[in-house]
Amino acid sequence: MAIGKRQPEAVILSANALLDGAVVYHDGSGWTPHLEAARVARGDEVSALEALLAASEAQGDVVDALLLPVTPDARGRIVPNHYRERIRALGPTVRRDLGPQARGEHRHVSL
Amino acid sequence: MYRYDEFDERIVRDRVAQFREQVARRVDGSLTEEEFTPLRLMNGLYLQLHAYMLRVAIPYGTLDSRQMRQLAMIADRWDQGYGHFTTRQNIQFNWPKLPDVPDILAALADVEMHAIQTSGNCIRNVTADHFAGLAADEIEDPRPTAELIRQWSTLHPEFSFLPRKFKIAVTGAARDRAAVAVHDIGIRIVANEAGEIGYSILVGGGLGRSPFIGKTIRDFLPKAELLAYLEAIMRVYNLGGRRDNKYKARIKILVHEIGTEAFAARVEKEFSARNGPPAEVDAAELARIAAYFAPPAYQALPAVSAPFEAAKARDPAFARFAATNLFAHKVPGYTAITVSVKPIGKPPGDVTSDQMRALADIAEHFSFDEMRITHVQNVILPHVRLDDVADVWAALVEAGLATPNAGLITDIIACPGMDYCKLATARSIPIAQDIAVRFADAERQALIGPLGIKISGCINACGHHHVGAIGILGLDKAGVENYQITLGGDPGDGASLGERLGPGVGADAVPDVIERIVDTYLAVRAGPGEAFIDTVRRVGVDSFKPALQPAEEAPREAA
Repeated sequence: MAIGKRQPEAVILSANALLDGAVVYHDGSGWTPHLEAARVARGDEVSALEALLAASEAQGDVVDALLLPVTPDARGRIVPNHYRERIRALGPTVRRDLGPQARGEHRHVSL
Repeated sequence: MYRYDEFDERIVRDRVAQFREQVARRVDGSLTEEEFTPLRLMNGLYLQLHAYMLRVAIPYGTLDSRQMRQLAMIADRWDQGYGHFTTRQNIQFNWPKLPDVPDILAALADVEMHAIQTSGNCIRNVTADHFAGLAADEIEDPRPTAELIRQWSTLHPEFSFLPRKFKIAVTGAARDRAAVAVHDIGIRIVANEAGEIGYSILVGGGLGRSPFIGKTIRDFLPKAELLAYLEAIMRVYNLGGRRDNKYKARIKILVHEIGTEAFAARVEKEFSARNGPPAEVDAAELARIAAYFAPPAYQALPAVSAPFEAAKARDPAFARFAATNLFAHKVPGYTAITVSVKPIGKPPGDVTSDQMRALADIAEHFSFDEMRITHVQNVILPHVRLDDVADVWAALVEAGLATPNAGLITDIIACPGMDYCKLATARSIPIAQDIAVRFADAERQALIGPLGIKISGCINACGHHHVGAIGILGLDKAGVENYQITLGGDPGDGASLGERLGPGVGADAVPDVIERIVDTYLAVRAGPGEAFIDTVRRVGVDSFKPALQPAEEAPREAA
């Protein structure tokens, strides 16, 4: 994936919700299923997300938190760099009727 | 069918109650995820990419209509209306919610099912030949032995924290359909020169990152000594298996590192130190178990069925199904039907709740209420009267389960891959779908003949790609899905691991490459009687290397 070389890599914080395992993103104050609401961090801001990641494990309302690289598209919408994270944002590519994609979420993300 | 006794029932019910409390403590925060993870894994509950996944054990793949209907109910009530048959004869639900899982386990317990031994570093659910009890080449039904091992291994305190997971497969037939050579322990039921029935024991087989074919360490083990011998193997492994590196922790690495002879010597030493009679299999108990697997009440029927022959003559579509999806039954007038869960273009192994209920109805009416799940992700109706095959076929057509492709190029094994799995490095299912669509034409499939394609979405090899006649391994190459292709793998007799054809190719190129491999095979095979795997063995993998690149493109380098 083409990542802008001139600016530091942008990352967001993601995890799976404890109760249903659904993919969630951190918006700076809490967890949300909406990718577009995720807080994007670059450079010095990343340490704040890292702190949230560490805290999430202690708080325990989410599981398997991770920082993942993203790139804004032409309209500024967040798109994960790796196809794994794009699949996580959408749901199974073989079952379009399931996962966030079934609710019409994250239509700007494609594989 | 085995039926739970009071001890089985108690173990499963107690486990449900324990897990209910554990889930409650996780949800209220008294357990951390680190503390909870091993507990949920001991109950088959994984966290995947989009949701939790619950893997339910189907011991040796055998289940009845009551159980299948309960699985359908679970799919509807607590999941998304479908399930996925796995390459270890189990079923997975892809969308359970954590607070619902204790209720799901309770519903499973109601029909004598559970999710124990489907995860974690224990002895996993034992697998067996899916044609057990009906194949003409069978020496003895492997299921009583598999059930004995299940009872011995379930919650076995000494073997609950092994270096790594541990898989055992049993076959009782002359021809291995249970892939025993690629299991941690493979057990073949054999007869010795005196005509006594016993076991031949293989150890150290396995797929994954470091694939190995199992080595035979005992040619003949008397039946009574089975559990003592297995315990000796497990002890040698438990002590000697590496715990410092999970990628080197399987028994295959220990066997490989110290050598088969040294390993066998350690086992024999441990075995000989055992106490004898107390460790022997109680013949009465084995007989009690075996009684549950007594043959059903077959009718005396002629070997040739007039209605069956007439239906074939009347309907070419039925004739094609009959030619591909039936397996010879040892009892005259009966057959085993392979219900392909590989409709063209659909995810391999996925069944809807309606299809589960249809299978339950068909099994109840036409197959002595019994089904088998295969490691090829299909369903077997084990005992169908030839007279009834046309009726069964009509019901399968209605359920969307009559694809006539058993054993053919579109009968593809595929792991869930990155569409579901947290460990995956690439997708598997879309590759299987694309290949199946490319080869959808039934006549062309019949022309090609038996050909097993097996696809894994990561090096862990749940899709058994190493033993696919054509194996496909999905990897992440610098952020793009990339597929390595191997040829010449075989899970059965004369088990062999596939050999890499060359550099990996992109997802879009896979169907073209497979097509060129198949075209090469059709061009060089000795005749229609020479199966793909035999041609690969005869001419060598190198003959297929040009297939990696389009014909118009000059080969740039030797692969």
